[in-house]
Amino acid sequence: MRWIIKLDDGLAKLSTLCGWVACVALILMTLNVFYDVVARYVFRDVSIGMQEMEWHLYSVVFLLGIPYALRTDGHVRVDVFYTHWSDRTKAWINLLGALIFVMPFAYLIGTYGYSFAVDSFQMGEGSGDPGGLPHRWIIKSLIPFSAFFIATSGLGMATHALRVMSGEKTYEEKHSAEGLA
Amino acid sequence: AQETFTLKMAETWGPNFPIFGEATKSMAEMAEKMSNGRLKIRIDSANKHKAPFGVFDMVKAGQYDMGHSASYYWKGKVPNTLFFTSMPFGMTALEQYAWFYYGDGMDLMQEVYEPHNMLSFPGGNTGVQMGGWFRKEIKSLEDLEGLKMRIPGFAGEVFAEVGVNPTNIAPGELYTALERNTIDATEWVGPALDLRLGFQQIADYYYTGWHEPATELQFLVNKRVWEKLPADLQEILRVSMRTAAYDMLIQSQHENAKAWASIKKEHPNVQIKTFPDDVFQAMYAANKKLLKEAAGNDELAGRIVKSLESYQEDSRAYTNIADRAYLNTMAEVEGDE
Amino acid sequence: MIGMVMFGVALLMLMLGFPVAFTFGGVALFFGVFAEGMDLFAFMPYRIMSVMQNTTLMAVPLFIFMGVVLQRTRLAEQLLTSMGRLFGGLPGGLAISTILVGALLAASTGVVGASVVAMGLISLPVMLAHKYDKRLATGTICAAGTLGQIVPPSIILIILGDVLGLPVGDLFKAAVIPGVVLIGLYIVYILIMTRLKPETAPAMPDDSGLSRKQEIVTALLAIIPPLALIVVVLGSIFSGIATPTESSALGGVGAVVLALIYRQFSFQMVWDAARDTVKVTAMVFAILIGATAFSMVFSYTGGDYLLEEWMLQLPGEKWGFIILAMLVILVLGFFIDFVEISFIIVPILAPVAEAMGINMLWFAILIAMNLQTSFLTPPFGFSLFYLKGVAPPNVQTTDIYKGVLPFILLQMLVLALIVIFPEWFGMSSSY
Ligand code: NA
Ligand code: NA
Repeated sequence: MRWIIKLDDGLAKLSTLCGWVACVALILMTLNVFYDVVARYVFRDVSIGMQEMEWHLYSVVFLLGIPYALRTDGHVRVDVFYTHWSDRTKAWINLLGALIFVMPFAYLIGTYGYSFAVDSFQMGEGSGDPGGLPHRWIIKSLIPFSAFFIATSGLGMATHALRVMSGEKTYEEKHSAEGLA
Repeated sequence: AQETFTLKMAETWGPNFPIFGEATKSMAEMAEKMSNGRLKIRIDSANKHKAPFGVFDMVKAGQYDMGHSASYYWKGKVPNTLFFTSMPFGMTALEQYAWFYYGDGMDLMQEVYEPHNMLSFPGGNTGVQMGGWFRKEIKSLEDLEGLKMRIPGFAGEVFAEVGVNPTNIAPGELYTALERNTIDATEWVGPALDLRLGFQQIADYYYTGWHEPATELQFLVNKRVWEKLPADLQEILRVSMRTAAYDMLIQSQHENAKAWASIKKEHPNVQIKTFPDDVFQAMYAANKKLLKEAAGNDELAGRIVKSLESYQEDSRAYTNIADRAYLNTMAEVEGDE
Repeated sequence: MIGMVMFGVALLMLMLGFPVAFTFGGVALFFGVFAEGMDLFAFMPYRIMSVMQNTTLMAVPLFIFMGVVLQRTRLAEQLLTSMGRLFGGLPGGLAISTILVGALLAASTGVVGASVVAMGLISLPVMLAHKYDKRLATGTICAAGTLGQIVPPSIILIILGDVLGLPVGDLFKAAVIPGVVLIGLYIVYILIMTRLKPETAPAMPDDSGLSRKQEIVTALLAIIPPLALIVVVLGSIFSGIATPTESSALGGVGAVVLALIYRQFSFQMVWDAARDTVKVTAMVFAILIGATAFSMVFSYTGGDYLLEEWMLQLPGEKWGFIILAMLVILVLGFFIDFVEISFIIVPILAPVAEAMGINMLWFAILIAMNLQTSFLTPPFGFSLFYLKGVAPPNVQTTDIYKGVLPFILLQMLVLALIVIFPEWFGMSSSY
């Protein structure tokens, strides 16, 4: 049990890191779009590179946000029965769901996403538009990275479920500690 | 019984996209009929594969056997693919087809595509594309300074050289962006396809073309798939693609003429304009400069640019004493156009 | 047929309460690998990439950020309660304010995920705090948030314009009156409902001791700053300073500036708002990605061809055709997302409708009206998931399901009105 707790705490830190990067990306993205509007309207200046940076940052927000939300129970559930179940039943659902839904899904996206990014790297792919951003493989490799972190968050969901089953943790405390305001 | 082949083809366009989408359907139909049902082509449109600009990668990886798209979309991946669609101040459709089929066009194109495990074939031509919809008239080079225009790719680079600000706008927001002056101008295709987007309702100046005088689409075929086909089916596929491509050029002429007649009648606000001389001079010089840069990229790029330029020079000399002389004569005889 | 079975299995699995997005993804994975093999999933990176490059969807995080900042600084609460006070002793004032704010948001975005979540964040806590019935509150928010799909600009209309070859501008213009009628009917419904059952939507308490006139003046003064922000967002769109997507960034920066003016600003507040935004955005996009895996498996296992075959069976007489086509779209909307319907079904219906001399603009508005209902219909209506994702735990999925029912009926009523009296909406049913 000790090593499960250790592993679980480590996985939680990884998901928090994803969330942290996504938050920074969100703030940068808001400023980026704001700047582009001001530059175009006030200075009559447009940079396609800056415009492309918008969707690069926006991709970081949701691709790294998904593993973060997975760990912090931010993904919506249909709670018709779920809320009425005991922590033990919930833990079983989460354990099985993490192992047969989340991790295989992340595995497939990760594997195919990896060759997707490698292909782009090998071709030296960049934007085809004037002044666009080079090195498209960087943003494409975010797909396998996101899949990797979804897998670790899924694993974290499973280890957390084991802790709940052993009676060491409950779901309530986690929800109130990390849930939305 | 002989073996039947079903090829899956991904197209960049949505289902029932006019002209472009009809070229793929007619190609598939011809191939199936001519092969007596031994060669079937199943077309997946953008709504199914959701990757309009992933056609290159999907055919390369073998997820699709064939693709229908435009070569210049892959400029960011493989720079030399740029040259096989249409170049600013380049050849007309007739000249360019001559280059493909009787000049070095096809050989050079295969040289670019083969390392990526694909064969590329001409896939239909739009004819001269219009220079775009402008909300204000361009009277001199100064009017282009800081002008915000949706114009992607190489032509965007040429425009950028003469002071235009090429701007990205999501296709769904294009109409609104032009209507509300978020951008000052946009390029699209020609009357038949522009009419659908409704630009004639919000922009008065429709400029004549220069940047894509003969936009050629492309059929992509995965090389292993091609080699697996028996020789007769290869030939049937080749002929179907070539016929569908020619037919699209003809259909473009037909649909554009029809659409232009309707714009003229229903939207008398629309005026046809041609950029002033100083603008063309500046763009011509910018284009030359960029082409020279592109030619310096690698040995193959150098050969392609050289082939394009010398073929155009010879071919144009004849076009001038034939088509152009005839059209000039007609303009003289009939007074105005 | 695999596609149909998959819907049934997904429905059962959803009931277990595992996160919706990963239930979609996981079920799709099993059916996809079983029917087509692992390599089918090589298409997933392309599909994710097309979400990444879909800059229209960028409005989702940007709008949510604006909503969260307005919520955290209590400016949204101030806006809604003041608007509610303007209605004086009238029950349902907050719900009507929610519809009106929703209508304003709808005019600035066409992305449902953005407006439902933003409305859910800013107005659900306020309504619940004022003892509103959970069903009325959630139904109102889902309906108000979904208005973005019929009030231009709207993604449904843009896609239909593309599929039917109609100018987007014409569609936008034609959708204005139906949108306004719908908003009007929502308000009338709330007025009637709350007259009949005042306890479901208590009037704002009159605790200020001010005269009615002073009360109105105070309320108006309180409304001005947050309303000014919305006006800036809308104004930037109508003046062309920003595209609808970009305007939501102006809204986010504007909300932070408002917080500064009202001395509510701190870096911690911005950081917390960013964290909430990331979490909710992730919830919305995980659903989009799970659903795209689901629809990938559905269509690559032949589901799209099956639908096509069904559609070819529709009757060849105008009114029978219209009614059945609308019914089929409504029922499909329970299960399949509107983009798939637009691209698979509409191209089959269009030539038939055209041959019958049906006015395509009118037909397109009927379809758009019908498709926006699909965001609200259980079990797979996306608005329901989105709202549930930001609602406090004591609001259950079933509350939301029941809450949207009357609004679905209202939408169908408007649809029927457009069918029967097209001239009321400035259209005609045939050429
Ligand atoms: Na073009
Ligand atoms: Na809208």
